Amino acid sequence: MFSYVVRKLLYAVPVIWGVVTIVFILMAIVPGDPARLMMGQRGDPETLARIRADLGLDLPIHKQYVRFLKDLARGDLGVSYRNNEKVVDALMTRFGATLKLAFWAMILASILGILAGIISAVKQYSIFDYSAMFIAISGISAPVFWVGLLLLLIFAYTLHLIPGVGYVPGDWRYFILPVITLGVRPAALIARLTRSCMLEVMTQDYIRTARAKGLHERAVVMRHALKNALIPVVTIVGTEVADLLSGAVLTETIFAWPGVGRLAVEALVARDFPMIRGTVIFMAVIFLVANLIVDISYGFIDPRIRYD
Amino acid sequence: MRKRLALLLVAAICLSVAFLVSGAVAQEPKYGGVLRWREVSDPPKLDPAMSTDTSSSRNVYLMFDMLVDNDPDGKRIVPRLAESWEASPDGKTWTFHLRKGVKFHRESMGKPTLNGGREVKAQDWKYSFERLVKVNSPRAYFIDMVKGYKDFVDGKAKEWTGIKVIDDYTLQFDLDYPFSPFLSVLAYNTFVVVPKEDAEKWGKEFNFHPVGTGAFILQRWDHDQRLVYKKNPDYWKKDSAGRQLPYLDGVEVVIIPDNTIAYEEFKKGNIDVLPAPPDEYYEEIKAKYPHLLQERPELGTYYYGFNNAKPPFKDNLKLRQAFNYAVDRQAINELVIHGRYFPAKGILPPGMPGYNPNLKGYEYDPKKAKQLLAEAGYPKGITVDLNVNNDPRHTLISEAIQAQLKQVGININIKVLDWGVHLDLCERGETQMFRMGWVADYADPDNFLYVLLHSSNHGSKGNYSFYSNPKVDELLAQARVETNWDKRMKLYQEAEQIIVNDAPWLFLFHYTTSLLAQERLKNVHLPAFGDYSTPLDVVWIAK
Repeated sequence: MFSYVVRKLLYAVPVIWGVVTIVFILMAIVPGDPARLMMGQRGDPETLARIRADLGLDLPIHKQYVRFLKDLARGDLGVSYRNNEKVVDALMTRFGATLKLAFWAMILASILGILAGIISAVKQYSIFDYSAMFIAISGISAPVFWVGLLLLLIFAYTLHLIPGVGYVPGDWRYFILPVITLGVRPAALIARLTRSCMLEVMTQDYIRTARAKGLHERAVVMRHALKNALIPVVTIVGTEVADLLSGAVLTETIFAWPGVGRLAVEALVARDFPMIRGTVIFMAVIFLVANLIVDISYGFIDPRIRYD
Repeated sequence: MRKRLALLLVAAICLSVAFLVSGAVAQEPKYGGVLRWREVSDPPKLDPAMSTDTSSSRNVYLMFDMLVDNDPDGKRIVPRLAESWEASPDGKTWTFHLRKGVKFHRESMGKPTLNGGREVKAQDWKYSFERLVKVNSPRAYFIDMVKGYKDFVDGKAKEWTGIKVIDDYTLQFDLDYPFSPFLSVLAYNTFVVVPKEDAEKWGKEFNFHPVGTGAFILQRWDHDQRLVYKKNPDYWKKDSAGRQLPYLDGVEVVIIPDNTIAYEEFKKGNIDVLPAPPDEYYEEIKAKYPHLLQERPELGTYYYGFNNAKPPFKDNLKLRQAFNYAVDRQAINELVIHGRYFPAKGILPPGMPGYNPNLKGYEYDPKKAKQLLAEAGYPKGITVDLNVNNDPRHTLISEAIQAQLKQVGININIKVLDWGVHLDLCERGETQMFRMGWVADYADPDNFLYVLLHSSNHGSKGNYSFYSNPKVDELLAQARVETNWDKRMKLYQEAEQIIVNDAPWLFLFHYTTSLLAQERLKNVHLPAFGDYSTPLDVVWIAK
């Protein structure tokens, strides 16, 4: 197991290098000069040249690249062009907020999704099944910004049950609506996937054998069927977690939440190269770690899986 | 009966007096309370040397002071940290007499500052101006006519020789040439005073530890959430009755990116001021909250520039004029943007000194447009690319203009671009036609006509339409050095009329600025420069 994890982490190095290089090249190609944007709508060429030199943008692109890799090797992601904030500090402060949001959204999505999926499979073609799957399809189809706005209009601005928007650590009332908004789509995905996997597993021979042994139906479902049905679900949960952690831009925008997604979008608009590179590296790491955790978790769910 | 009548009369008089007294008391400013102001995004720069956007400027205005200020209408310059000033007869030397007893902030971000709340002296001003050059301020070149600028920038001189400290309270500027808008330029919010001790201590980090002399002190900056300010107890300004300002205990600048949510938060009372209420709720606001809405012309102009250096617009006056006759500005204003702009005949906005209400512009005349189009060499019509930066309002306007131009045989391909790309293409002259807007940096026609249309400013310096007319250049250069106000304004009006006749732009609109303020807020006065410069040191909250 340990060597497997180390091997996977080592694989991550060329992946991150590849991602960083592609981003670097893309930033060099796309029009839009960060120094120019810092000057506002007009600026004199002499000042522009000095700002470019100050940021190191006057160097040939290969020298900029080497300098960037050297800094990266020292763990220095640089300083934002836009506001002089250290990229690492900016990512860390925003990640706290994003992590809380993503964590609770996935807890909610997993509990609701797996429960709804199991019951729908066990009670296939029942009213519950039809209702749950209708809600799931709606959850997948409904745009996040629409769900968020609707929840806010009802619960915050009409019924006044929620004080409003914003990030107030420690006050759970500000967490409820963004968590639901962000959790709806993964919950629906998980519910549909759990249902279909469960239905497939429930027709297997070993389930018939378990039933023939006289096991209680609950034991058949929970101990024998669910464990095998969960593997694809865990994969989806892993990628969804990574997706949410790398920035739920729309949810963060609607609920005025200071997350990584908003940080990335603002960096892109301002051509804030260090911040863009930082957020991309950060997202790549999140995806790699999430996938690694998913891979490791397979072994716990299905002991037949080995890490050789 | 008489006695009863007399009693009633006395009672009525007493009630009236009580009412009047309570009314008067209600108008007495009250101290206390925190005002919550909405912004769309986190301000990038709190260091005034680096601030170039309105979101940063909102915060800079809270913490810093310039030598002089604009009056709310943008029509004259009023004292701020300079009590008075005079210019030499040749207009090349400006002397400022500084206000005594002005102190720097004693703390910033909850910690004591190095300056310890000491008094501002002329030497601090010299340092602050020189610092602009040292930190590569994007706005330092606004005053490149101050003697010694070039040598100081190039590192050939150790100081900016044109800025002289005469004594602790007298500061002098020597100019290379008489520059009449100089005073107006100094009202720009980059030209503020900062304490050397703190600025040197923090370097680039001064952005996160700003220290000024303004009404409010930054206490906390939660990025992408809020900026928390508390009142500056040592603030230099008092109201007309001698009461210490500011009245408010503090200000919170709250970041809410979504317009719908910001409006709902305002209705719920969670925010006190909503600048630039969104278009989609404008009609509702006018119907339901007219008493909370403030709106006035802003010193800004919205236009489509033609690329005058490339075909098809180069050397084709009739084509450029055909475009101008083909657009019904009034209809677009009313149908697309709820009448929030003013149709423009020319460049200078209403309220700007030199604005000419009798300017001869282009009325909507599709027949004439068709005729001019044919005479311009396009009897069967023409297809032109229009670059527009990505914004719902700009897209809507461009689609309406596209429909109107189509009626006279002009086809427009609209290209919606991200702002960075748009700006890049415009300043490199790689456009045929482009959307652009301009809001005054300083209240002087020079800031519009010279910056946007003088041939020395082609490209990034502001003249994106690459317009060139030697006569206009001459008039604008002459106006810059003319010290007689009336003569200057005449020169600008003459230049503007020539430019309008040349039609280097499709003249469209002049901006308005607006905000929604809760009823309990008093003394909120929206200035012509835009909502972001609304002074909050005089605002108070009725309990």
